[in-house]
Amino acid sequence: MGRSQEIYIRAPRFGNINRILGKAVLYGVVTAMTLPIIIMYLWLFMQSVSEKVLIGFIPSGFTADGWRFLWGPVKFGEVLLPPIWPITLNSLIIALGVTGIEVSIALMAGYALSRLRVPFRDSFLILIIILHAFPGITLLIAIFYLLNVMGLINTLLSVIIAKAALEIPMATWLIKGFFDAVPWDVEASALVDGCSRLQAWYKVILPLVKPGVAAVAIFAFLAGWNEFIYALTFIFDPNLYPLSIHIIGLIGEFRYVDYTLLAATALFYSIPPLVFFVITQKAFMKVPLVGMKGA
Amino acid sequence: MVRVKLDGLSKYFGEVKAVDNLNLSIKDGEFVAFLGPSGCGKTTTLLMIAGIYRPTKGRIYFDDMDITNIAPKDRNVGMVFQSYALYPHMKVYDNIAFPLKLKKLPKNEIDRKVKQVAKLMQIDHLLDRYPRQLSGGQQQRVALARALVKDAYVLLMDEPLSNLDAKLRILMRAELKKLQKELEVTTIYVTHDQVEAMSMADRIAVMNEGRLQQYSTPDELYDKPANIFVAGFIGSPPMNLIDATFREDSGGYLVDAGSFKLRLEPGMGEVVKNNLTGQEIIFGARPENMEIVEAAEDNTIEGTVYVLEPLGRDLIVNVKVNDYMIKALTKPGVNLNPGDKVWLKVDLDKIHIFDKKTGKAVI
Amino acid sequence: MGLISNNPSVRSYIYMIIFLGPALFLILFFWILPVFSTIFLSFTNMGMRKPNWEWVYLKNYMFVGAHPFSQKVAINTLVYVGATLAFNVLIGLLLAILTFYMDDRTSLVYRALWLLPRASPPVVYGLLWLWVLDSSEYGLLNQLLAPIYGKPVPWLVNYAMPGIIVINGFIGASFSLIVFSSALKAIPPDYLMAARVDGASELRIVKDVILPLMKWPIMFVTAWQTLSLLASYEYILIVTDGGPFFETEVWSLFAYHQAFQHLELGFGAALAMILVIIALIAVLIQMKLFRFREMITPVKIEHT
Repeated sequence: MGRSQEIYIRAPRFGNINRILGKAVLYGVVTAMTLPIIIMYLWLFMQSVSEKVLIGFIPSGFTADGWRFLWGPVKFGEVLLPPIWPITLNSLIIALGVTGIEVSIALMAGYALSRLRVPFRDSFLILIIILHAFPGITLLIAIFYLLNVMGLINTLLSVIIAKAALEIPMATWLIKGFFDAVPWDVEASALVDGCSRLQAWYKVILPLVKPGVAAVAIFAFLAGWNEFIYALTFIFDPNLYPLSIHIIGLIGEFRYVDYTLLAATALFYSIPPLVFFVITQKAFMKVPLVGMKGA
Repeated sequence: MVRVKLDGLSKYFGEVKAVDNLNLSIKDGEFVAFLGPSGCGKTTTLLMIAGIYRPTKGRIYFDDMDITNIAPKDRNVGMVFQSYALYPHMKVYDNIAFPLKLKKLPKNEIDRKVKQVAKLMQIDHLLDRYPRQLSGGQQQRVALARALVKDAYVLLMDEPLSNLDAKLRILMRAELKKLQKELEVTTIYVTHDQVEAMSMADRIAVMNEGRLQQYSTPDELYDKPANIFVAGFIGSPPMNLIDATFREDSGGYLVDAGSFKLRLEPGMGEVVKNNLTGQEIIFGARPENMEIVEAAEDNTIEGTVYVLEPLGRDLIVNVKVNDYMIKALTKPGVNLNPGDKVWLKVDLDKIHIFDKKTGKAVI
Repeated sequence: MGLISNNPSVRSYIYMIIFLGPALFLILFFWILPVFSTIFLSFTNMGMRKPNWEWVYLKNYMFVGAHPFSQKVAINTLVYVGATLAFNVLIGLLLAILTFYMDDRTSLVYRALWLLPRASPPVVYGLLWLWVLDSSEYGLLNQLLAPIYGKPVPWLVNYAMPGIIVINGFIGASFSLIVFSSALKAIPPDYLMAARVDGASELRIVKDVILPLMKWPIMFVTAWQTLSLLASYEYILIVTDGGPFFETEVWSLFAYHQAFQHLELGFGAALAMILVIIALIAVLIQMKLFRFREMITPVKIEHT
């Protein structure tokens, strides 16, 4: 459908003045509803670079002080904050670990469930469907217990593997959806043209699902980067804290002492999610839908 | 290239018998069409020959070699899909070169072959484009080029023309046939369009509900349909098929349809009598074998003109006889109007009689 | 893959192990086993401070009934899930319909803004709300309302539960917004054109054409969100941690606190077990309702 036609269909048919009035109300209402979000994130940015922020978003007194944690130790009286870079590295290890495990395993399982005639395929599919709707967080206590028995508690690996495992049903389901979208004819054609099943997979199908897999990888990365409950529960050693736990500590202890520092740290922590979000917002808007085909 | 032989080939999907005990042989270099309505098992058969589906029963032979369990990649078949199935992420050149690359041919030879087949298919100016930048007709040619480039033993085509517009389809029909004769590649062509099958194929395998109905040349299929299904499926406008009984009386042999009676030649009558299991028959006559006359004669059917369908070159006259309709083909220019009383004179040499119980042709 | 085995059925088993094995292993270890461990733990008095443990059978479950706060927590959970859900669906629906009447580019901007809370780390989102609802005069709401109230209001003390509902509501509304927007886009334009040709006003079109077609998406969002709201407590943990005095303590957070603050794994597991059972039943109902089984499509290439 052409674009002009689409606009034609959507435009409410009021009189001229009414139409402008209608539009004004429309944009006014939506903007008002969105205002809290706009102000909050605007404040985060303004607060991180100014001494004081007036009524939400008007900065006063520019300062780079909040960002001093990037280049040196930060001290509050007797308390010395730990350096930011090892903490960032912990977050990065968790995020990359989750991405690597989750994507590679989900890629294999998603492919098999979409394309291969393997035994128990239907049972496995039902299991995945059940699990991807089931809130895995309810199992946290038992997972803690099991990791403890295994001696894995208080390691980054425990967070990585638990997070990846709990995300795998969803990731598998998403990736299966991307494989499902590749026409069977294309794969059959590759086989006839001389590919083995494995060659067809990686020469023909994988290039076609790459954008989808990239989206899932980004979600996995963000899930790992944003994670805090597992880190809070499984990690006791401050040297292993990721940024999320570091910031929770700051919120608790220094919220009233140095808002600028807190805002800057929070913004620093938000940079990867925000950058990825800007790049992949379209994928963000589609992905939650994949699960509701039958609806 | 090779002979193809299907031996008791069957494919069941659960309870559904998509293909049931299919036996047929295709000669080296022959162009065979699988013809039938959708769901008749023709595409399933093709996919079994390609190796995508695994037969439930039966064997497939290329020449004398049993290839039933051989991987698709080792069968050396070329296939054109209904959707063309071009690789969206590869340029036209790479699409065509793909089978050769997998065969690990030297680069310069790949290049030579791709350019040769591209020239043959008149797409040599498109090699640098992606499939999405091509028209339907161009995509179709690329798909064909990709199937041809590897010098396949067998060329498989699954409704390759169905996504083209009418004019291009007629053009490609002739071109495909010429190409096939030049290359002498054994070809299996799946279609639901009888005109396509009749105009291109050396032999046609008519299928219905997973079973082979008839396997013969286009002429024979038209003139001597083996059963009621083939008789009704082949030909446009279709053959008139009318319930009737066959009996013998003092004057000889009679086909009695209630509203009309036709007397058969004694010779023909004998044959019918000897081959029939009961008395119930289906009487068949093609529209072009029904002449419209203005007065009752021997062996005419009385009716009234119901509606006229002018087709330019021909005119189809629908004649209402009692509660059923008979189609007759005539030339335009006759003075007929709906409601006119007419008589249809049947060319008795060209009638068909089917045993109602078995569905098989008696003559 | 002649390399592996020429027997098709042996080969398909090998493929199953290679492709599904790793996923199956993780699922066994982090889903199936934990379900059984939760059952096991809930029958013990295991605790992190105690060196020994013993079977207590149903004692933990009986204690759930007897615990002085469990009734309050249960009511909190109902209020929290119900109100947040209503917020999600209503705001999401309103936004989806309003942005539906905008041009594509503008509506994309608004939807992107609404996704910000979901995309940014929960800790940061929680921090932002802590600042908005800050009890001191520096909190945003207090700054804005200073001319009216005069003195700062301790929002998270006086209005803790409404605060939690709004905080979670903004996250959930983005989910509903996406689902509803896509569903709106999927409405054949012919329906809307036909209604306009018939002389319907836009309000009538929304009421008589659009809303009836949103029945399934609304049911889907409701079912889906009920489950995630029942189980998730991360924003509550950051913002109020259940306080003040159990005002915002919901069931899942209660279980978390019992296990990891009071270090009573057994009692926490019993609380979690109740959630697990509710979630399992809800998932099974969802499967029936949304015909998940129909998503199982056959494999069309049999060669492996």
